[in-house]
Amino acid sequence: MYRVELLPGSTTHVSPGWTYVPDRGFDPAKAAITPTIGRKRGIRDPGRTDLSSRQTNAIIRHLAELDRENHRDVQIQIPVRQKEPAAPRGTRTKVTSNVRRILQSQKTFRNYLDDEEAAQASTAAATPGNTSATNPPSSSSAAAAAAAGGGSATGHRGSIHRITKPSTAATTPSSLRRSSTPPEENAPEEPNTTTLIRSEHDSNPLLRSYLPAAPSERIMQALLAEPPLTYHAARAGSPIAPRRSQRHFCCMCGYWGKIRCKNCHARTCGLACYKVHEDSRCGAFF
Amino acid sequence: MGTAKPRPSGGRASVAKAQTLQALPDKTFIVDNGAYTLKAGYAPENPPPEDEVQALSACATIPNTIVKTRGNRIYVGSQLNTHVTDWNEMFFRRPVEKGYIVNWEAQREIWEHSFFDEKTARSKELRITDPEDTTLVLTEAPNALPVLQKNADEIVMEEWGFGGYYRSLGPPLNAWNQLNTVFGDPIVQEAESVVSPRECLLVIDSGYSHTTVTPVYRGQPLQRAIRRLDLGGKHLTNYLKEMVSVRQYNMVDETYIMNEVKEAVCYVSNNFVGDLEQTWKGNRKRDLPDSKEGVAVDYVLPDPNAGNKGFMRPHDPLLNAKKRKGALSGASAEALSEDALVLGNERFTVPEVLFTPSDIGMKQAGIPDIVLQSLSVLPTGLHPAFLANVLVVGGNTLLPGFMGRLEAELRQLASAECVVRVRSPQDPIRSTWLGASRLATNREEFKKIAITRQEYQEYGSSWAGRKFAGAL
Repeated sequence: MYRVELLPGSTTHVSPGWTYVPDRGFDPAKAAITPTIGRKRGIRDPGRTDLSSRQTNAIIRHLAELDRENHRDVQIQIPVRQKEPAAPRGTRTKVTSNVRRILQSQKTFRNYLDDEEAAQASTAAATPGNTSATNPPSSSSAAAAAAAGGGSATGHRGSIHRITKPSTAATTPSSLRRSSTPPEENAPEEPNTTTLIRSEHDSNPLLRSYLPAAPSERIMQALLAEPPLTYHAARAGSPIAPRRSQRHFCCMCGYWGKIRCKNCHARTCGLACYKVHEDSRCGAFF
Repeated sequence: MGTAKPRPSGGRASVAKAQTLQALPDKTFIVDNGAYTLKAGYAPENPPPEDEVQALSACATIPNTIVKTRGNRIYVGSQLNTHVTDWNEMFFRRPVEKGYIVNWEAQREIWEHSFFDEKTARSKELRITDPEDTTLVLTEAPNALPVLQKNADEIVMEEWGFGGYYRSLGPPLNAWNQLNTVFGDPIVQEAESVVSPRECLLVIDSGYSHTTVTPVYRGQPLQRAIRRLDLGGKHLTNYLKEMVSVRQYNMVDETYIMNEVKEAVCYVSNNFVGDLEQTWKGNRKRDLPDSKEGVAVDYVLPDPNAGNKGFMRPHDPLLNAKKRKGALSGASAEALSEDALVLGNERFTVPEVLFTPSDIGMKQAGIPDIVLQSLSVLPTGLHPAFLANVLVVGGNTLLPGFMGRLEAELRQLASAECVVRVRSPQDPIRSTWLGASRLATNREEFKKIAITRQEYQEYGSSWAGRKFAGAL
């Protein structure tokens, strides 16, 4: 009798059909599917666990459904236009290879996005220091910018017009490098404070402005010169502070979903709607 | 790049031109290429007309789609408005997906049909007779994939060969509009009559495929703060379609009609809980006097056989009883054949998802929250300036109550010291086009950002991409 013993390590062995993976302990995603607490408590107390994977899939499918142009998949061919003797195309007789490639491409946005992600993943893997070298300086410079903006609120009303008005010439972002060092940021604002007329009421707490001062032109140029975010990075996140809990609606009439179907967890507002639901749509999980 | 195409007429002229630096063509054609409609037209002469209505008369709105009707006939672009009489079971093919031009095969057909083909291009204002002597301004949605941007540049410069070209993000162009009147600021007469962008502007663009928030500083976007909510007019229409299909008639194939219904009846509620209580069906049994001025309305569906269009009318709870009676007593066939949808809480629960996406299980935040998410990555000193200058554009702005709700929620979220002003331009759909047309009249500024055909042929499309990204 022999036995297989897996030595602890971080590598995973991939083989067709099954795989050894290191045990990483408690996984909330899996715990949601097979909760260790009692079944009944899970039903009565839905707030304790996150959405089950079945519900998550249903939501994803629903959102994909909302994103469709047509309910059914239809192929609509471009209408064939009869060839006129080069009247509109007179000046452009030759089709370049780029144009031909683009026109013949039948890729969807999903395909392009996947390509993009794959390319990003491969470049990130090739140069591991690359992403860490570009991202943190930009965020730290913004943090420094915010700190400088908040710290230099010294009495004058924080109006952006006053500070930015002297430089009327439009400077291109490329004229300024990102290498501008944050410690010098307060320097251009000092002349402004000296030109203000001083009076004995300046230190009056009633006159103090709580608005932070606008950032300097240099910070603005650095912000403008930043490259665009990726498609996924620009997606808005979940609410900053979830003010109200998740609202549920009746799947039949749209009123508050007060009771939950014991089979499919869909919500209904009352017995009338529940009966209709049970007879017609229950079990058909979206 | 071997993209230089010989001009058939006058090879010598082009050689002579190549010697000198080619200037940007004077005529500027602007295409705001939306997913639902494209807004196109020539930019005005300098100075631009003061009157907004007059300036917008040059801009046409063309459906950006190829449709197939029930009778298997295919129509392109503006034919949708002129040739189609039967809207039932119409299918759409849209070249723009998620706000970006993806399928150039379809997009080229629509452009050819609308701008280049002399038989179908509607009017002189929309014809591009010679692209070599025209500068094209093309808008795109923020955070586009570089591949798609490159495709757009190559098609524009190599398929049509425009003399000049500028690809820009759409939302920042709004900063070039006359926003002092929109925000009610005093109009300052500038010494020089050059069009200039607004200093700080937060543009919320709620369109067909998504809603974006873009802080704009002097006409340039602050890229790090651009945020996107993946909900737009398309999702609202589909959501309404789904609700109606479950509750009343099966409308799953009637995208066009449901879009009309949405535009006619939907509104953003300022009192969601109250409106929902009011539309509860239990009220009907209790015979509460809400049916008169209640939320519910009837929408009479269009009848292609009789040539009738759909329309909204106040809800008549006794309609079915009347119909039955009428059938017995032999009323007019017209009244009997009409089909009406009764829309109660669908009217406001559908647009509500823009403000509470969690209602359909989405993990993203609502529009007011996204504004604050966007501002949170900017220096705090900029927050007052952006919150006081929020401009909302895009078709969803036209939903009644949208602006009020947005301003009210933003006011609650923003810190008390900040002034919050949320405004919408007179024409929120063509506002981006208008801004681009005003930018084009500022020749100095425009020359700096646009590229000429000669430059493209010399440096290629990747250079053009870097130039438009502001990296050069």
